[in-house]
Amino acid sequence: MKLKLLTLFVVLGLILSACGGGAQSSGGQTVTLIIPEEPTTLNFFMADAAIVRQVAEATAMTGLATIDENGNYVPVLAQELPTLENGGLSDDYQTVTWKLKEGLKWSDGEAITSDDVRFTVEVLSNPGSGALVGTSGFDAIKSIETPDDLTTVLTYSEPYPGYLDQFAYGLYPRHATGEPSDMANWEWNRNPVGAGPFVVSAWTSGESITLTKNPNYYEEGKPYIDSLVFRIVPEPAAQTAMMLNGEAQFQLWPGEFKADYDKLLKGKATQHLIPGIWNMAIDFNLSAPFDGDPTAETPHPILGDIRVRQAIASAINYQSLQQDVLKGSVTDSTNPFAYGWYQCDLPRKFGYDVDKANQLLEEAGWVMGDDGIRVAKGAMYAEDGTRLSLELQGYTAFDPLQLTEEFIVENLKAVGVEARIQNYDFSIIFGTYEDNSPRAIGDYDMLIFDRGFTTEPQGYNFDAYHSSRIPTAENPTGGNYFRWVNPEVDKALEVAGSNFDIQTRKDAYCTVGQAVIDDMPQVYLYLFQDNYGVADNLEGYVLSTWGSMSWGAQNWKYK
Amino acid sequence: MIEREQSMGWLITRRFFKHKLAGIAIGVLAILVFASALAFVAPYSPTDQEPTNSFQKPGIQHWFGTDELGRDIFTRILYGSRVSLTVGLLSTFLSIAVGVIVGALSGYFGGWIDTILMRITDAFLTLPTIFVLILLAGFLREQQVPWLQNSVLVVIIIIAALSWMWPARLVRGLFLVLREREFITATRALGGSHLRIIVQHILPNCIGPILVSGTLQMASAIITESGLSYLGFGVQPPTPTWGSILSTAQNQVFRAPWIAFYPGLMIFITVMAINYIGDGLRDAFDPYVIHAD
Amino acid sequence: MRTYALRRIAQSIPILFIISVMLFFMVRSAPGGPLTAARRNPNISKEQIQALEEKLGLNDPLPVQYGRWLHDMLSGNLGDSIKFHRPVNEMIAERIPNTLLLVGISFLVTLIAAIPIGVWSARKPYSKFDYSMTTVTFIGQSIPVYWLGLGLIIIFYVTIKNPVTGNPFFPVGGMNTQGRSGDVLDLLWHLALPVTALSLGWIAWYSRFLRSSMLDVLHEDYVRTARAKGAADNVVYYKHALRNAILPLVTLIALDLPSLFAGALFVETIFSWPGMGRLFWDAAKGRDYPVLLGVVMITAVLIIVCNILADLAYGWLNPQVKYD
Repeated sequence: MKLKLLTLFVVLGLILSACGGGAQSSGGQTVTLIIPEEPTTLNFFMADAAIVRQVAEATAMTGLATIDENGNYVPVLAQELPTLENGGLSDDYQTVTWKLKEGLKWSDGEAITSDDVRFTVEVLSNPGSGALVGTSGFDAIKSIETPDDLTTVLTYSEPYPGYLDQFAYGLYPRHATGEPSDMANWEWNRNPVGAGPFVVSAWTSGESITLTKNPNYYEEGKPYIDSLVFRIVPEPAAQTAMMLNGEAQFQLWPGEFKADYDKLLKGKATQHLIPGIWNMAIDFNLSAPFDGDPTAETPHPILGDIRVRQAIASAINYQSLQQDVLKGSVTDSTNPFAYGWYQCDLPRKFGYDVDKANQLLEEAGWVMGDDGIRVAKGAMYAEDGTRLSLELQGYTAFDPLQLTEEFIVENLKAVGVEARIQNYDFSIIFGTYEDNSPRAIGDYDMLIFDRGFTTEPQGYNFDAYHSSRIPTAENPTGGNYFRWVNPEVDKALEVAGSNFDIQTRKDAYCTVGQAVIDDMPQVYLYLFQDNYGVADNLEGYVLSTWGSMSWGAQNWKYK
Repeated sequence: MIEREQSMGWLITRRFFKHKLAGIAIGVLAILVFASALAFVAPYSPTDQEPTNSFQKPGIQHWFGTDELGRDIFTRILYGSRVSLTVGLLSTFLSIAVGVIVGALSGYFGGWIDTILMRITDAFLTLPTIFVLILLAGFLREQQVPWLQNSVLVVIIIIAALSWMWPARLVRGLFLVLREREFITATRALGGSHLRIIVQHILPNCIGPILVSGTLQMASAIITESGLSYLGFGVQPPTPTWGSILSTAQNQVFRAPWIAFYPGLMIFITVMAINYIGDGLRDAFDPYVIHAD
Repeated sequence: MRTYALRRIAQSIPILFIISVMLFFMVRSAPGGPLTAARRNPNISKEQIQALEEKLGLNDPLPVQYGRWLHDMLSGNLGDSIKFHRPVNEMIAERIPNTLLLVGISFLVTLIAAIPIGVWSARKPYSKFDYSMTTVTFIGQSIPVYWLGLGLIIIFYVTIKNPVTGNPFFPVGGMNTQGRSGDVLDLLWHLALPVTALSLGWIAWYSRFLRSSMLDVLHEDYVRTARAKGAADNVVYYKHALRNAILPLVTLIALDLPSLFAGALFVETIFSWPGMGRLFWDAAKGRDYPVLLGVVMITAVLIIVCNILADLAYGWLNPQVKYD
C-alpha cells in the first residue's frame, strides 16, 4: 500500500515536473537569494530590523559614500570625500562641501542633483518623518546651500564627527517621494527610485521580491547580473535544501555550522564567515535584587563581592564554548569595544581556570555544600548558610543563546555555583521601567544577551556605563542596569563625548573597556560572526562587516 | 449490585483486550511510562555535556546519538517523555473536568443556563485555535506572575483552555438523552438532589464516551505541545520535551537528522498507541461490536 | 431557510464581539509591544521611541484604543500595520486566496480519499482491508504535521531525484517557479507536498469517523429493510447508508475548521507558502498587533461563515430537518 502510494506520487511528480517545472527561461542571468523573513519596507532609515538592509542595499541605498570591506569610507556618488586637504571640510570642522559626479541619474532617468541631497537632509532632520535609524547628526546641520546642481554646502552648528557616515546609506529623490512628514506612507518605500544597481520589478507578499537591472546605473556596464530574486523561506531545512539543489545562489545566515555546511554542499556552495556586530556578555546585577529598590545602594548579597564575579569569569571555558559548542562560528571578545574605529584589544584578565575559581570562592567565604553547591560561611554580604544560587536570565527562541546558557550552567556547576535558567520573552528582557522589565527595575542576578553595533558609540555607552544613568523611578530610561558606579569611567565617558579627536576618544573608550574588565560588571563571552552561503559558481562578491548580503551586487557575475 | 458492576467492568476489560492492537498499545504505553519513571538509571544525565563529543551518530555508546552539546539524546528523550506525558495527561484531565461541569450543567438544567453556556462554548469553538494558543502563551508568560513563569504549567493551561469545548458538547448531548430516562425521572420524583442525580446517576453512564474522547484529546494535546514547542512558544529550555528537543534540531536536519528523528518517532508512537487504546475503548463500550475472530 | 440563515448571522454577532474584546485586551495588555525590537537597537534613541509611541497612539488608555479599533473595524478598516505601514485589509487580501487555495485543495483531496476508505472499511468491518486501513489512517493521524513536512522535503526534494533530469520531483519554496506565475500546472506541482502534509491527518480522521457513522447507520431499520428487499449492495451502501452517514460528518467538518487553519500555519511555514498563517506568525514575532488582530478576526469570521454554510448544507442533505 505504502509502496503504491509512493509510486503514484513519483509518477505524479514526473508528469507535473515534465510540463510544469524544469527550464527557467526568463531571459538573462538571475541570482536567487534566500532570506528568512520579509522586509517590512525598503526604506533603510525606517527599519528596526536587519533584514531590510539585506534587500534595500541592492536598490535604494547608494549614497554619496559607502564603507568598504576594510571599514574605510569611499566616495560613490560624490566625486571625492570632503577632507581638510581637499578643502571639502573647513578648518573649524563645521562646513562640509559635497560634489556629485557628473551625469548621474535616478533609476527613473531624472538627474540626481544637489537638491536631492538637500531633500534628504530635510527628511532626516524632520522629527515627524518617522525615521528610526541613521538620523543622528542631521539636526546639527543648520544650513544647506546648493550653489549649483552638483555642489552641496552643509554648515553644522557644532563639529559632527559622523559627517561621512550620514551620507553612506542613500539619498531620497525629491521628485519621486512625498512630504517628509508623511514618509511612512510613501509609495517609494516599497518601490524605491534610487541610484543603486537594481530596481524593484515585482514584490509578491510573503513569497519573493524581484529586482531587475537599473538601466541608469552610474557604473558603465554594471550590474552584470540581470535580476536578483529574494525568496522568503522561513524553514532552515528548506533554505539549505534549495542551495543543495542549485535553486538559490545566496543564503543569508545559514543555520548549519561552516564545516558541516561546506561538507554537505561540497562543489555547490561555501559558507563565508565575516566579523559580526553582536557582542555576547553576561551582565551582573551589583545591587541587591528583588528588594524593591532599584538604586545601587545595597550591594548584591552574592555578586556584590568582586571575587565571586571573578570566580564566575574563571569558571567559564571560553575556548570550548567558542570552538566546540558554537563550532567556531564566533570569535573571542573581552570588552564592549570590539569593532570599529574605537576597537580596543584588551586581554582577558580571568581566563578559564577552575582551580582559580574554586580558590576565589573559598577566599570569598563560600564553602562547598553537601549537594555540590556552595554555601556562605563568612561571606562579605551574604548571611551564613545562603546557597550560591543565581538566576540566569535570557530571552527565548534564539538557539545560540540557549546553547550558551546551558553550557555555562554546567561550567558553573563544576565550581559549586548553581545557575537557574529563566528565559523571558524579548519584550520583557528589553522592556521598559514602566513595564517592570527585570533589568530596568533591578530584579535580576545575571542577564545574558548580545548587544549590537553603533557607528557612533557615545550615546549607547554613556547610557550603559555612566553612574547618572542608573534606572530609577525618577530616571526610568536609564541604561546602567548593572548599577555600576565608577568615577573613573564617568570621567572617561565625559571626555569621549566632548572631544573631536579620534585618538583621544578611542583612548577614553579603552579606559572604560579596561574598567569593565577590572571591575567586572559584566563578562564578555564572544562576538558573533555573520555567515552567508554562496554558490561556488558565483564570483565578484565581497562580504563586509559594514554592509549586508546585497552590498556590491553590481559586481557579481557567474563564472 | 456490586457484583454486577464488577462483572460489567470485567466484560469491558475483556472486550478491550479482544482488540489485539489496543492490548499491544497499552503495553507500549506502559513500557514508556515505566522507562521514563526509571530514567534516572540511565548512564547519562539529561544535562551532562561533553561538547567535544557533539553530533555523535546513534550507536552502542549513545543509542539515539548526541546533540550539539554532546548530551545523550536517549536520556533526554526519556526525561522529555515525563514532561510530554504529563502535559498530555494533565491538560486532558483539566479540559475534561471543565468540559464535564459545563456539559452537565448545560444538559441537565437546560433553559437559559444551557443557552449561555453553549453560546460561550460556540464562541470558543470559533476561535482559530493555533493563533489563540500562540497569543495566549505569550500573554500568560508576560504576566510576570512567578508561577506562570513555569512554561510547562502555561502549556497545560492553554491547551486545556482551548479544548474543553469538545467534552462539554459531548457530555451535554449525553445528559440531554439520559435525563429523560425512566430511572432518572424516578429518582427525581423521589426527591433526589440535583447534585446527587448528576454525580451518582447520570455521570457514571457517560464514562465510556468520556474515556474515548479523552484518549483523542490526549493524543491531540501531545501533538499540540510538540507543535507549540517547535514554534518556540511551548515548553522552554532547559526542560526537555519531545517538542523542544525537536525544535533545537531544526538547524541540524542535514547534519544530525537523528536529533529530529527520534523525538518525532516518540511522539508518533505514543500518539498512535493512545489512538489504538481509544479504538479499543470504543469497541469495549459499544454494544454493537461483533468481533470477526 | 433564509430566515434561519439570517438568525444564525445575527447570533454570531455577539460571539464576534466577545472574541474581539478578549483578543484585543490579550494582545494589547502585554508589555513590550511592537517597538520592542527598536528598543534593543542601540542606534535608535529612547526619545525617538517615545515619539513614535505617541504618534501610533500606543500610550492611550486601552479602552480608548479598543473603541478606536472597533469603530474602524465596523467601517471595514482593520487599521495599518505598524511594521509595514500598509493597510491590514490589503495585506490580508493578498494572503487569503493563497490560504483558501491550500486549505481548499487539501480539503477536497481529504474528502476524495476519506469517503471511499470509510465506506469500504464499514462494508467489511474487521476484514483485512479494514484493519490495514485502520493502521494506515492511525499512522496518518499520529504524525505531527511539521515533522511530516520536514520528512517530505527530505524525501521528495533532497533524496529522490528525477533520474532523467536530476532535478527534484517536487519543489518546496513558494507557489510558483520563478517567471511562471499564473501557470496552473506549475501551481499544482507546488501544491503537491504541502497538500499531502496537510491532508494526511484529516484523511485518517474523517475516514475513521465515516466508518463508525456508516456502521451505526447500517444497524438502522431502513437499511436492513432495503437490504431485505434485495437492493444491490452498492445501492445500499452509497445511496441509503452513505447519505445518512455523511450528515454528522458535515457538522464535524464545520467544527474542525479552526484546526485545519492550525495545520496550515505549520505547512505554510515549512513550505514557504505565502498564506494567512505566515502573516500571523510574522506579526506575532514582531508584535504587529493590528495585523495580529486583523488576521484572527477575519479567520473567526471565515469560520463562522463556514459553520453557517455547513448547517445549511446539513439541511439540504437531510430534508427532514426543519428550520423554524
